[in-house]
Amino acid sequence: MSAMDVRLENLSKSFGSNVVLKALDLTFPERKFVTLLGPSGCGKTTLLRLIAGLERASGGAILFGGERVDHLPPGERNIAMVFQSYALYPTMDVASNIGYGLKVRGTPKAERSEKVGVVAKVLEIPHLLARKPRALSGGQRQRVALGRAMVRKPDIFLMDEPLSNLDAKLRATMRGELKRFHLDLETTSIYVTHDQLEAMTMSDLVAVMHEGVVQQFATPEEVYDRPVNLFVAGFIGSPPMNFCDVTVAERNGSPVLMLAGRALPAPPGFALPRADEGRRLVLGIRPQDVRLARPDDPGAVPGTVWMVELIGSERLVEVEVAPKLRITAEVKAEVRAAIDTPAAVAFDAAKVHLFDPGTGLALPRLG
Amino acid sequence: MTPREVVGRVLLYVLLVAVTLVVCFPLVWAFFTSVKPKDEIFAWPPTLWPEVWTLENYRALFAGKDAYFQAGGGVSTAAPPSAFFLDWFLNSVIIALGTTAISTIVSTLAAYSLTRFRFPGQRAVPYLALVGYMVPSIIFVFPMFLVMADLRLTDTLASLILGYVCITLPFCMWLMWAFFRGVPVEIEEAALVDGASRLRVFFEIVLPTAWPGIVAAAIFTLIVSWNDYLFGRVFMNSMENLPLTVGVMHFFDGTHVDWGLMMASSVLMTVPMAILFAALQRHLVAGFGAGAVKG
Amino acid sequence: MAPRDVPAGGGPQRARRWSGLRLSETQVGLLFMLPFIITAGAFMIWPVVEAIRMAFLAYNPLRPDDVRFVGFRNFEIILDDPLFWESFHQALVWTGWSILLQTVFGVGLALLLHTQLPAIAVFRGLLLFPYIVPTVVIALNWRWIFNSEIGVVNHLLLRAGIISENIAWLSTPDMAMASAILLNVWKYTPFVIICVLARLQTIPTELYDAAKVDGAGTVRRFLDITLPMLKEVLVVVVVFRTIWTFNKFEEIYLLTRGGPGTSTFNLAVYAFEQGMANLRLGVAAATGVVMIVLLLAGSIVYVRVSGFGAEEKPA
Repeated sequence: MSAMDVRLENLSKSFGSNVVLKALDLTFPERKFVTLLGPSGCGKTTLLRLIAGLERASGGAILFGGERVDHLPPGERNIAMVFQSYALYPTMDVASNIGYGLKVRGTPKAERSEKVGVVAKVLEIPHLLARKPRALSGGQRQRVALGRAMVRKPDIFLMDEPLSNLDAKLRATMRGELKRFHLDLETTSIYVTHDQLEAMTMSDLVAVMHEGVVQQFATPEEVYDRPVNLFVAGFIGSPPMNFCDVTVAERNGSPVLMLAGRALPAPPGFALPRADEGRRLVLGIRPQDVRLARPDDPGAVPGTVWMVELIGSERLVEVEVAPKLRITAEVKAEVRAAIDTPAAVAFDAAKVHLFDPGTGLALPRLG
Repeated sequence: MTPREVVGRVLLYVLLVAVTLVVCFPLVWAFFTSVKPKDEIFAWPPTLWPEVWTLENYRALFAGKDAYFQAGGGVSTAAPPSAFFLDWFLNSVIIALGTTAISTIVSTLAAYSLTRFRFPGQRAVPYLALVGYMVPSIIFVFPMFLVMADLRLTDTLASLILGYVCITLPFCMWLMWAFFRGVPVEIEEAALVDGASRLRVFFEIVLPTAWPGIVAAAIFTLIVSWNDYLFGRVFMNSMENLPLTVGVMHFFDGTHVDWGLMMASSVLMTVPMAILFAALQRHLVAGFGAGAVKG
Repeated sequence: MAPRDVPAGGGPQRARRWSGLRLSETQVGLLFMLPFIITAGAFMIWPVVEAIRMAFLAYNPLRPDDVRFVGFRNFEIILDDPLFWESFHQALVWTGWSILLQTVFGVGLALLLHTQLPAIAVFRGLLLFPYIVPTVVIALNWRWIFNSEIGVVNHLLLRAGIISENIAWLSTPDMAMASAILLNVWKYTPFVIICVLARLQTIPTELYDAAKVDGAGTVRRFLDITLPMLKEVLVVVVVFRTIWTFNKFEEIYLLTRGGPGTSTFNLAVYAFEQGMANLRLGVAAATGVVMIVLLLAGSIVYVRVSGFGAEEKPA
């Protein structure tokens, strides 16, 4: 099999008056693992189904390896797909499930059994071949679904939230297995999920989607370190990024950001609006980049400890610095803080993000 | 959509419309016949759409007249059967309402008891009911007639109400049982914790929640008690006590058949069912989906 | 969370008011069950028991004092009666054809109604309607439209050139049976439709998506996915409908009175005539017992067959 790239040109999809996807341009490079990430209703599953051919686009084109596939039914696009509920045929045994695509294409019985056997061996499920899907566990069912995809050696491999039906522990194991599967198969994989952890750990590229528009299409590192707008910044990362309203001001000739009455030195590297004294911005900082400081430290913002949560080797301390404004700091578990005691937070200046509150876009950086 | 898909859908739609027309035809035709005047009914070839619209058949029905009836030997009355039409209608209404009231109440109480309480022999009850449900009416209509005779209830509406209650009770109970099992016990337990007595919990909390099931059971009972013929035929004698189903068959007693009257009575017998059906269609399908139906 | 408030004046006062009705759990349970037990016991269990008992008596309702125990005599009478066997055979014919047509049409129409065509809800309502029309009404209508001289069916068939002279729908044995079967199919196909439609609606669409991705076309998808999943429902429907159809009374009697002659008799009509016309309640009861035995046999078949078709959960 030869992997292909997938190109979407000006793709749009509406259901009646409901516009789900708007003029999408996206390329999934060959042999890469790309994740479509976003909350429910953002259009990611619709996009996947368009690529699969299960829905017809309202406008635009879909190309596999440079050739248009819009008119081809799913069976002729040489794709394989794993569904959220695996969609194993309940009345057929595992061997028939895996071999169904081959059967439909007229592959002779002997050849079919052989191919199914090979696949079953790779997935370590040859002992399950005679069972029916209802007699399998969640993890086993997923392997059968993967087997069904694998046996036809597809060009494109599509996955629609395949891990959401598994318990947390199994999910962690399966993440690695799916990535391994992608590498062994050497296909182009497109993965849909709302779980940002899955996206970050498994993907070569991530497309963050919101309301039918791709917000950012970049590597996981870039999406994490340089989110392009408020939505991406708030969606990626756990615990989520802290956001505070700040005002641009000037102290002693240098630009500062006013946060809860305190003046913080402006972080370097940003093209700050100078002339507009009093211009409002949104400051974003991840809890990992916030530390607890003493109230009289320079650049620290004082407040009261509102909540403390131990999450294993780290501790989350939420400090209320102004009415309705709380900032979460992630510190080592050894650091103690008591609820309702005074505390202060300080930011790692290099990790500060700034956004325009009106457009939501990140402020451009210098250099 | 591709042209091929459009053509496919149009063909399907045409098929759907054609089948529906064929299925509805008998009832539609009956309606048209009932609004035609006598000479047009017997015209040959028959006209599809009435040339003359008239209510004379309905008026004759309500006035108790019959254009063709002549009392022959062996017929129990000198008056045409249509003279009793209004009696029959009223009887059917009373029977249907009475049966429904009793059946739903008894089955609701019984089903609630099954799901919330424990007492010896409890498990056997629904299965016994099922057995009773499976037995075709023809088998126990005669013994039931003898029971009614012993109670001196033959030829009374009460006998029919009792009879229909018995044949509808099993299914109603299964239906209510299924519904009550779907009502989470926690709601009632919360009310009990709040201090309500069992009876109060039943009336103020459980009944409102089980309402859809009760409606489905009521619809089923109304249909059965309105439509049945056999029990009415065996239990009742006098013309004025017959339910509609048995009464209208007497229209065949005369030397000729007044088809206009027949079709008019057909329509009038079907209209209440049609109204019921249209208003509560959703409940009907849900109720029949909950368990097998006697058909 | 705010602490719960104790209802004012709740405790002792309430106990006083309801104390008269404070029954134990078991007592309330039995109380609720009582109406059902009485009604069912007196008017259901008793009549069925009586029905079986009467099979062994000679019972003329007009001479209730002259009831005699006759052992198996009634059974001998019916088993020797050629009309009984004729009725039995006709019942099989009537049931077989009815079920076959109901199933084929039922599945076909259910598939049709499962599509997303416009105003489908209206059609669903219209196609389910025959089920609740009183059998009497349908029988009357049928007699009217299938009337040989002035019925509209003959007129339409003549007009369309399908027949050259009027068919005697209700006055020849074969046509009468055909008319009765037609009526049965018309009235009860909706039941099959409802059951099949309900099942179709539970088949997850993802299965069809997976099949499309695997390359299966429309016919393939129907044969490999839809049909196997309908199998269980169809088995239940066919068995139940066979049991009930075999014992139906009104659908035949009101249309043909069992005629012409006795050519459309089934066991139910036979029993009815024995009881009402011949006034031999014992013989009627004996026929009833035979019907119960057949019913039991059918139910055992159902239990056996449905035991093999356990409910599959989608993977």
